[in-house]
Amino acid sequence: MQTFDVLVIGSGGAGMRAALEAGARGGLAVGLMTKMFPTRSATGMAQGGINGFLGNADPTDSVAKHVFDTVKGSDYLGDQDAIAFFCGQAAAAIREIDYYGVPFSRDGDGRIAQRNFGGQSAPRTCFSADKTGHVILHTLYEQCLKHGVKMLTDRLLLDLAVDDDGLCGAVALDIRTGQVVPVRAKAVVIATGGAGRMYWSRTTNPFASTADGMAACFRAGIPLKDPEMVQFHPTGLAGTGILMSEASRAEGGYLYNNAGERFMARYAPEKMELATRDLVSQAIETEIREGRGFGTGLSAYVLLDLRHLGREKILERLPGIRDLAMTFERVDPVEAPIPIRPSCHYTMGGVDVTDFRTGGTALAGLFAAGEAACVSVHGANRLGGNSLADIMVFGKCAGAGAADYALGRDRKAGDGALAAKAAEWEERLAAAMARDDGPAVASIRDRLAEAMWNKVGIFRRGGEMKEAAAAIDGLTEEYARCAVGDDSRVFNTALVNYVELGNLLAMAKAAVLGALNRTESRGCHLREDYPARDDANFLKHTLVTLAGTRYELSYRPVVVTDYQPAERRY
Amino acid sequence: MEQVVYRIRRFDGRKEFWQEYRFAHEANKTVLWGLLKIKETVDPSLAFVAACRSAVCGACAVRVNGEAMLACETPLDALLERFGATLVLEPLGNFPVIRDLVVDWEPKAARLAEAKPWLVPREEFSAEAGCRQSQAEFRRINAQTNCILCGACASECNKLTTGDDDFYEPFVYTKAGKFVADSRDGAAADHLRPVLARGLWKCVHCQECVTKCPKRVAPAEDIAALRRASIRLGLADNQGTRHARAFAGDITKTGRLNETTMAVKTDGLLKSATRLPFALRLLRRGKLNPFHFPAPVEGIDGVRAIVKAAKEAKE
Repeated sequence: MQTFDVLVIGSGGAGMRAALEAGARGGLAVGLMTKMFPTRSATGMAQGGINGFLGNADPTDSVAKHVFDTVKGSDYLGDQDAIAFFCGQAAAAIREIDYYGVPFSRDGDGRIAQRNFGGQSAPRTCFSADKTGHVILHTLYEQCLKHGVKMLTDRLLLDLAVDDDGLCGAVALDIRTGQVVPVRAKAVVIATGGAGRMYWSRTTNPFASTADGMAACFRAGIPLKDPEMVQFHPTGLAGTGILMSEASRAEGGYLYNNAGERFMARYAPEKMELATRDLVSQAIETEIREGRGFGTGLSAYVLLDLRHLGREKILERLPGIRDLAMTFERVDPVEAPIPIRPSCHYTMGGVDVTDFRTGGTALAGLFAAGEAACVSVHGANRLGGNSLADIMVFGKCAGAGAADYALGRDRKAGDGALAAKAAEWEERLAAAMARDDGPAVASIRDRLAEAMWNKVGIFRRGGEMKEAAAAIDGLTEEYARCAVGDDSRVFNTALVNYVELGNLLAMAKAAVLGALNRTESRGCHLREDYPARDDANFLKHTLVTLAGTRYELSYRPVVVTDYQPAERRY
Repeated sequence: MEQVVYRIRRFDGRKEFWQEYRFAHEANKTVLWGLLKIKETVDPSLAFVAACRSAVCGACAVRVNGEAMLACETPLDALLERFGATLVLEPLGNFPVIRDLVVDWEPKAARLAEAKPWLVPREEFSAEAGCRQSQAEFRRINAQTNCILCGACASECNKLTTGDDDFYEPFVYTKAGKFVADSRDGAAADHLRPVLARGLWKCVHCQECVTKCPKRVAPAEDIAALRRASIRLGLADNQGTRHARAFAGDITKTGRLNETTMAVKTDGLLKSATRLPFALRLLRRGKLNPFHFPAPVEGIDGVRAIVKAAKEAKE
């Protein structure tokens, strides 16, 4: 059986940063497990940049301003102590990855260039053209190669194993062989990314963002925090949902409706296109609803116009955007505006982290970081450029936290719990592969996405969400008797999709439950039947916990330190 | 066109076989869309990988009608127009295959690590203060950072197809080249030595890596830049460099190659002596005349001016 002191699961920015940190302690066996190959991770799709107070573009910027922008951007649902810690660490994290080799775009003095981003009061987003996440991911991968991090590729997390003495490790599907493999670990870092694929095709996320880690932690008894907080990115390509980076608005892009109006003047007269993502997404959907979009139904859209920036700036600062628009919409933004519509982008909620300095959770030895985790610094709306900063800061914290824990832990064997979990999964997977008359995985998945987009999307109502909850229960029942359609043990991707769908269903159910019971509007969570923010009753985090098979709701107050909730204006 | 046919080379872990899938054509779709269509409506057992479906993660590279490409970004209609209704899909070449269109990256990653593809920061920089670099210096590495490790270059590399003992995947040279070109890096020789030891001068210049790269990276150019850097840094005592120098010398002197002396200049007297049987066969067939000393070509002054200009041109 493979045995590690620290097992990091997920190889995006947060996971690789955690693995490096744990590895740098020396003397620890560190494993990095991923269901694909490390450089296929969602981090690579982040385009715009990484936030931190460097003061390069604006000497009057400060950590305090970054803190306030993040608190306000979160619609006051972020924990202010965690946000202060986060903003205080961000600059150091950026300088550190510069030293690791991240190629940043530069200013005239050779310092890291910074640009404006949505919801920020100063230009503090550092970038590498419009492929910032890609270069960070590859730089971390290079560093992992350098430090000889043991990489376990093609292994899908199935569950965590816990016994009376605590965490024993994880059970995974070795996709290459089809075997269920237990992996012993003193400490585990969950860095498996978000749950955006519950909206399936209306998301900017890769196919892999299926909440595997969130669901495994949930089943191990850790609460999901704020699962209803799902960010929609305003500018997905109309046809595919593929991301047009916020950099396109940061560099000066305009949004137009079918009357040729820059409609953001109605919603955020000061910030215009640079208002926060929740507000711009809601504005676009309102335009479409009220008949000022192009096209109809699910294929309706508005226009993102970059032409006035000029060819040179588009080629220098937004080359990736241009390529994507040309490839997937057959539009060259140098010559024509791009059809766009909001697309599910980021899961603010996730594994309930209770110690932001270590990424620790309620289960000793279990740590979480990145999009899989909810610390919470993003609250009800994440600022563009804060996710890459999040994975660098908290990835490092979680790696260090897990390493410290592993160094101090004298592990009891725990093999019984691992073997039992493995046997349980072996039986379940074999049964699923053997069935050939059940509903198809893809069919259940598509109906889940439809219910989520139509009833738990940008605009939400109690009645519709109850319908969605019933639909998810029905789909979960179908899932229990569905057919995989492939009984081979070798690289069975249909079996992988089957496991992933189970995780998506669990996450979707928690999201709807949280959303139904949050009878207010805050950030990305817009209740048409409760349009006002209700600080008296809902300045608190939702916690959804699994008790047997029941989903239980509880709440925890938001940590407020310096900034009392105020109305959000942009 | 109503029906599209994907003829797919499959492998179940033991045996290889071909299978044809048919599905209804829809306009403006991608190669990946067709694969997903098959998996979701025809045959769930077809194995392939894809992740970002926006051409940045590199997972979905496959060979279609003999050319590596990213399935997610390649318009199906363009291929159908070029090749007709039947497309032949295969896993990437020069990779071990795990199942169907899925290839094994682990050995490739191990080889990549040999080339030390990571920044060795100059002494004046620190983890606390970060680095300095001008925008012009950033631009020098901007093209190589587009590499997404999709493997298309390796798939189509003709040198690799003949064997990978003495040559790396083109992306390995690109990654190494990135750090040699990075103004923040202080250890060019560290990145150069491993690639020099394995094949830097053995690229066959077929340019397949350049033409097949979906991200406009040009590994062949990176190989050329690494060669120049190795000469500049004095890591030049090798067959490839001596061969290049002999070329340059001959061209400057006469405007043509002197095949008779080339072997001696490249390999030295002792080693080229082992080629004597080959030389004798050439002599016997009248293909080599040891008494021929080529006279300078007409317009040799022009040739020399070009060589001089090339020498003076900035790297």
